[in-house]
Amino acid sequence: MDADSEVALDILITNVVCVFRTRCHLNLRKIALEGANVIYKRDVGKVLMKLRKPRITATIWSSGKVICTGATSEEEAKLGARRLARSLQKLGFQVIFTDFKVVNVLAVCNMPFEIRLPEFTKSNRPHASYEPELHPAVCYRMKALRATLQIFSTGSVTVTG
Amino acid sequence: MAARGSCPACGSAALVEDAHYAQQQLVCAACGCVLAEGLLTTTYTEEEHLREVAYSQSTGQKEQLSRCLQRGIRRVQDLCKVLHLPTMFEETAVSYFQRALQHPSFHLVSLEKKELLGGCCIFVTCRQHNWPLTMGTICSLLYAKQELFASVYLSLQKELGLSVPALSLVDLVKTHLNSFRLFQQAADIPAPFVEDKEKMVARTMQIVELASETWLVTGRHPVPIVTAAAFLSWQSLQPAARLTCTFARFCKLAGVDLPPPAHLRLKELLDILLRMASQLAWLRVFNMDRKTVVKHIGDLLQHRIFLLKNAFCLEDEEEQHDAAPGEGSPGSPPAAQEEGCPSEGKRQHEDSPRPLLPPCLINPRKRLRTAALSSSDSAITGNEPISDSEIEQYLRGPEEIRAFRKAKAWP
Repeated sequence: MDADSEVALDILITNVVCVFRTRCHLNLRKIALEGANVIYKRDVGKVLMKLRKPRITATIWSSGKVICTGATSEEEAKLGARRLARSLQKLGFQVIFTDFKVVNVLAVCNMPFEIRLPEFTKSNRPHASYEPELHPAVCYRMKALRATLQIFSTGSVTVTG
Repeated sequence: MAARGSCPACGSAALVEDAHYAQQQLVCAACGCVLAEGLLTTTYTEEEHLREVAYSQSTGQKEQLSRCLQRGIRRVQDLCKVLHLPTMFEETAVSYFQRALQHPSFHLVSLEKKELLGGCCIFVTCRQHNWPLTMGTICSLLYAKQELFASVYLSLQKELGLSVPALSLVDLVKTHLNSFRLFQQAADIPAPFVEDKEKMVARTMQIVELASETWLVTGRHPVPIVTAAAFLSWQSLQPAARLTCTFARFCKLAGVDLPPPAHLRLKELLDILLRMASQLAWLRVFNMDRKTVVKHIGDLLQHRIFLLKNAFCLEDEEEQHDAAPGEGSPGSPPAAQEEGCPSEGKRQHEDSPRPLLPPCLINPRKRLRTAALSSSDSAITGNEPISDSEIEQYLRGPEEIRAFRKAKAWP
């Protein structure tokens, strides 16, 4: 492809994962009883709480660590995390919203051409790894950006990191 | 103490045993001549509590290798013997295994994973020497789940920084066909089904090369493709007797597993062959279908480069028109640069060339992707104030809590 090609590639962010801490112990039973849209997984010791807007699923541990997944942008992730902290405050916990960090962003992009994976792997040897017996895509790791790309033969590229 | 004998110097018979410091000596009492000296060390019988020490124990040889490592190395060596691998492979695999076990990320893993680690080292060694060994074979030898094997293999590759070349399909064809039972007469195999190994291997390799040129191999598991190609080549070598035999029966007679995707690969291969057959002059008059095209696979493979060019639309339209039959001209489209046929309307007609695309693009699955962000969403900063009413929807009311508690009977 030419460097100044006119084809614009649409990169769509499909998932943003973030974490934050509430700096207080959370009673999972109370959250499961008094919170709506919650699933209590007693065997692993966590509660799943789903928010409607933004569409987020939060995993809450009793230590006060919370992981939020499902947002489609970093700002949305922060808003959802704050909403969740606020809900926990309303439930009666002394929640302080701290250590918010975006941990992972997943994006998808489609190339307008197909890719021959074996030849691609050969010419990008140390970064690309292709195991057709395990996964139909090439795994390309960019150490500098700490990103992993999954490249499919259809031209679809998934970026994680 | 008196002792027998006479002194050689003066001839006196007065010999006494006397200790000079710790050393026993036989001395002539008359002239003082020393006749004999004892050993400085104690005798064996006096050392009752000390016994002979084995060399390996005194040098600590055995203690250097832990029991787990010894067991693992023995297992690696046994696997190499079962697979009939050369000695060099065994040494390389054992060295990888020792390196891996010393690595902190593998030192404390479960015993199950340590066993798989040995298998992974052998797998890596074979791939580095282009010895076609599939993960399925190793997993079946280790009675391991493929997911667990895959995770151990990927972490081994990452931690030791090993570069593992791709599996060569051509070599895999030879190894896979070695396990087929159709090359010799047997009680349960009808006579017309027995085939010559060299011919079958050669034709299967040609079909597998055709598959890799037409996007059927990229991104797919290699074994089902090889199995489907073997079936087609076997059928085409004696179509009269073998066309009625099904794929499942073929695999049962050959004594190999029929992997589930193999049926789809077979269908895709037959579609490609049908397209090619439509371009061969003496086959155009016939009404070809998936059964009848098998009889002409030999001809199609002989002219496959020319037929591929004509049957499928490539980058340059001109190449189609002055395509010369022959093996010299490049047949496969250039990597990563191919685009769809410019005249999309032609897709509707069966005879006109269609673009050479992967099957998943020809029959795309409908995928729902969320639309681009609306304008209101894009204005989110993350720090907006949150009103109480928004939060109320996520909390249960007191009556609800009471009812819930009663229903669940929670303490």
